[in-house]
Amino acid sequence: MIDTFAALAHGMAVAIQPMNLLYALIGVFLGTAVGVLPGIGPALTVALLLPVTYKLDPGGSLIMFAGIYYGGMYGGSTTAILINTPGESASMATALEGNKMAKAGRGGPALATSAIGSFVAGTIATIGLAFLAPWLVDVAVRFGPEDYFALMCVAFVTVSATFGDSPVRGLTSLFIGLTLGLVGIDKLTGQARLAFGVPELLDGVEVTTLAVGLFAVGEALYVASRRRHTEEKLEPVRGSLWMTKEDWKRSWKPWLRGTMFGFPIGALPAGGAEIPTFLSYSTEKRLTKHPEEFGKGAIEGVAGPEAANNASAAGTLVPLLTLGLPTSATAAMMLAGFQQYGLNPGPLLFAERPDLVWGLIASLFIANCMLLVLNLPLVGLWVRLLAVPQPWLYAGILVFATMGTIAAKPSAIELSMLAGFGVLGFLMRRFDFPIAPVVVGLILGPIAESQLRRALAISLGDPMTLAQSPISATLLAVALIALLAPFVLKGLGRFKANED
Amino acid sequence: MFRFPTRLLGAAVALGLAAANPAFAQQLELKLMAPAAPGGGWDQTARSMQQALVASGVARSVQVTNVPGAGGSVGIAQFVNGAKGDGNQMMVNGFVMVGALAMNKSPVTLEQVTPIARLTEEIQVIVVPANSPIKNAQDLAAAVKADIAKVTFAGGSAGGVDHVMAALFAGAVGADPKKINYIPFSGGGESLAAILGGKVTAGISGLSEYEGQIKSGKLRALGVTSEKRIAGSDIPTFREQGVDLVIANWRSVVAPPGITPEQRKTLSDAVEKMVKSDAWKEILKQKGWEDAYLGGDAFADFLKKEAVRVTDVLKSVGLVKS
Amino acid sequence: MTSGDSTQSPRRVDPAGLVIAALLAGLAAVLVWDARGLQSVAMYGMGPEAMPIVVATGLALLAIGNFINALRGNLPARESADPVPVLLILVGLALLIAVIGFGGGFILATSALFVTTSAAFGRRAILVDSIIALVMSTLIYLVFDRLLTLSLPAGPLERLL
Repeated sequence: MIDTFAALAHGMAVAIQPMNLLYALIGVFLGTAVGVLPGIGPALTVALLLPVTYKLDPGGSLIMFAGIYYGGMYGGSTTAILINTPGESASMATALEGNKMAKAGRGGPALATSAIGSFVAGTIATIGLAFLAPWLVDVAVRFGPEDYFALMCVAFVTVSATFGDSPVRGLTSLFIGLTLGLVGIDKLTGQARLAFGVPELLDGVEVTTLAVGLFAVGEALYVASRRRHTEEKLEPVRGSLWMTKEDWKRSWKPWLRGTMFGFPIGALPAGGAEIPTFLSYSTEKRLTKHPEEFGKGAIEGVAGPEAANNASAAGTLVPLLTLGLPTSATAAMMLAGFQQYGLNPGPLLFAERPDLVWGLIASLFIANCMLLVLNLPLVGLWVRLLAVPQPWLYAGILVFATMGTIAAKPSAIELSMLAGFGVLGFLMRRFDFPIAPVVVGLILGPIAESQLRRALAISLGDPMTLAQSPISATLLAVALIALLAPFVLKGLGRFKANED
Repeated sequence: MFRFPTRLLGAAVALGLAAANPAFAQQLELKLMAPAAPGGGWDQTARSMQQALVASGVARSVQVTNVPGAGGSVGIAQFVNGAKGDGNQMMVNGFVMVGALAMNKSPVTLEQVTPIARLTEEIQVIVVPANSPIKNAQDLAAAVKADIAKVTFAGGSAGGVDHVMAALFAGAVGADPKKINYIPFSGGGESLAAILGGKVTAGISGLSEYEGQIKSGKLRALGVTSEKRIAGSDIPTFREQGVDLVIANWRSVVAPPGITPEQRKTLSDAVEKMVKSDAWKEILKQKGWEDAYLGGDAFADFLKKEAVRVTDVLKSVGLVKS
Repeated sequence: MTSGDSTQSPRRVDPAGLVIAALLAGLAAVLVWDARGLQSVAMYGMGPEAMPIVVATGLALLAIGNFINALRGNLPARESADPVPVLLILVGLALLIAVIGFGGGFILATSALFVTTSAAFGRRAILVDSIIALVMSTLIYLVFDRLLTLSLPAGPLERLL
């Protein structure tokens, strides 16, 4: 333990040199600049900017790297809040409440709670990384396919929090998402499903294409169609630009809870960042003292998922550093970054190059601070964007939204899909179907399916494997309780009402 | 706000160009397609080539484009149709593309492109967790022969090199390749976790991916797929253990169809020069790639043979309809 | 049961809801049709066709649910929508796709989208907007393509830069 502190202190000393601070700042800035493009998530941001770091020494480069990474993540949340365009799948939950807040003139507090929440979560998770990594990783490798499937079941149950008021319409949205999730090559047998002979469909529907189409394009179409009747009036700032005392009070617990979801699930080799953000969103929705605000811009719904997103990012470093396991696209890019200096992350890295490992952990701290330094002053500037006259604002949003797709996959088919999802988003808004469950279905469906099928292949088709693993049995029980609890409580309530 | 990084980037680019562009640089301006998303093996190969071609002065500029999709099926279709006859374009490809094209019933095949050279290859390995009762290739062979369904192999995507290798292993030890219980995982990370956690019997992957785990004693390597033992390594080959299994995950570079013999020679010479450059050797060392340069007609021959072998295996496991 | 409800209900059958129910049923049919073309090569556990069938069953049930809702007229009230701006934006998107598809480049493509969208939101100063759009997309192109090495599609305008 003492060794850990000494090593961390040494790492800090390396990271805090003025030149390294400067690299961190540049990294955060570049990361934010590219990361704001919808469809370009942190992984692609890091990939695109990796060459920029080539010229630096390993220490400085790693620090710039960490900055790019954090900047890329925060950039995705900024667009989610301001223009309802989640830059990556993990900031979808942020868009749900964040954009409502921005439209109500509370974009300032929304951006602030997401930046500070990211900072808090990032810091706690980085501490967790420093102290718990070796222990966590032993737990993480015990998760087998059946346990992941059980985790997905928990996620599916909690997703109902995004359903709105009609279960039939919510489920309809979810199943549309599940259908889209089937498109493409089946991971386990390599056969094409619902691809209709179109090669571009073989890799499936890109989550960001769907999210940007449904959220940004769909919204632009919807607002345009109603312009005659209800002139949308956007006020960039109503009330305080900063977080009020009340905002702080409502934010700190979601930050901590979000971290609790994000870090451990992020550390699981197939955990990802989406599930903790959904779990956090639905938890906050259940626990809030202001349930009436959910769906209209509740700050808890931004604070929690943003913290979860950031904490899970630090979580993915656990298997990367201790096992050399790149469990996300971003982690794979980080691995490439390491290798460029002849480093091979893995069980031996902590022993062989402690200076660089602790330097990296320290630079994550520093990059996190820089994110705050750079972004808090910009909050005022960002929200002014909403004061742009409506025609230009929406024209700009559409240009921006399509640009991510143009840069990532410049094919006519991908762009047509984006436009098609835009129309779908418009129709769903018009007929009052919730949007979020579609994206949730696309993300969770394929994972749940392939994990279940892996589990069954290993057990030679015996479904009892789901009950035999203690982790899976526990998680399935949790899912079942969460599913039945509302009905039981309702029944009890009715029972009581009858007694009265 | 933009001024600072602008200047920094400008300076970095200028520096790079100045250092990389000796006076004898040719006027080659190449476009290199990586038929995969940024970050993967083909993308890294393309970007490394870009670095080496420019640094060694073989080309004046190299632009890398990414066309991701379906194991390269989308990229090669665009390459064959869009770059026909263009002597300044090349595309990176490799083992996985052979299987992907067959499985996706791609209308475009590798016979249509102009082969230039094989660049690198990676030796494959089969591993088991350290506490597994299986100690060597013969133990695994015995387990496979006893009850093939109970031996689960974890590896990469269906139809990829790991899957083909599992089928070849079963065939080589006299079991029915059609019956292998192969479990594809997305990405090396997930499958490694499943192996370490003891969820599967054995894991298949490129050697470099699991090297750290093998050295640290968390995984036991049962055998490697090279013909001869790798210098300085104590992992036996499968051949040594009486299992005829030789396979490598190779990566190569090809040119569009319909280019003139002169254009083909220019590109082949450029690649050959690059392969011999110090910059390329340095990159190979950094990335842990094995130099497997094979140029000209020898490579064209190799490509044909691999295509036949892989398609046969995929047919035998039922992934490609015969 | 539904017929009794609809006579009691003051609301009428919702035709849009019926169309939605029909579309969901159609989607379920497509799934089943597609799944039938898959060969079950997985020797152990579940094959690739299981999940599509599960999803198709769900869609079919939801089609029935939506059908009942539509018969009862249980859909939320809708305001009338103005089709012209929607079509304008869709034309803009189509232009964008066409320009990029035919190699017209990033600047022209996004400018087209910008101008049509801005017109959809009621602006009539097409010339001014075109100039704004061209300047803006050129700047974006320069920053992202040249500085940050993102490769954006190049057309005649980009080659001049």
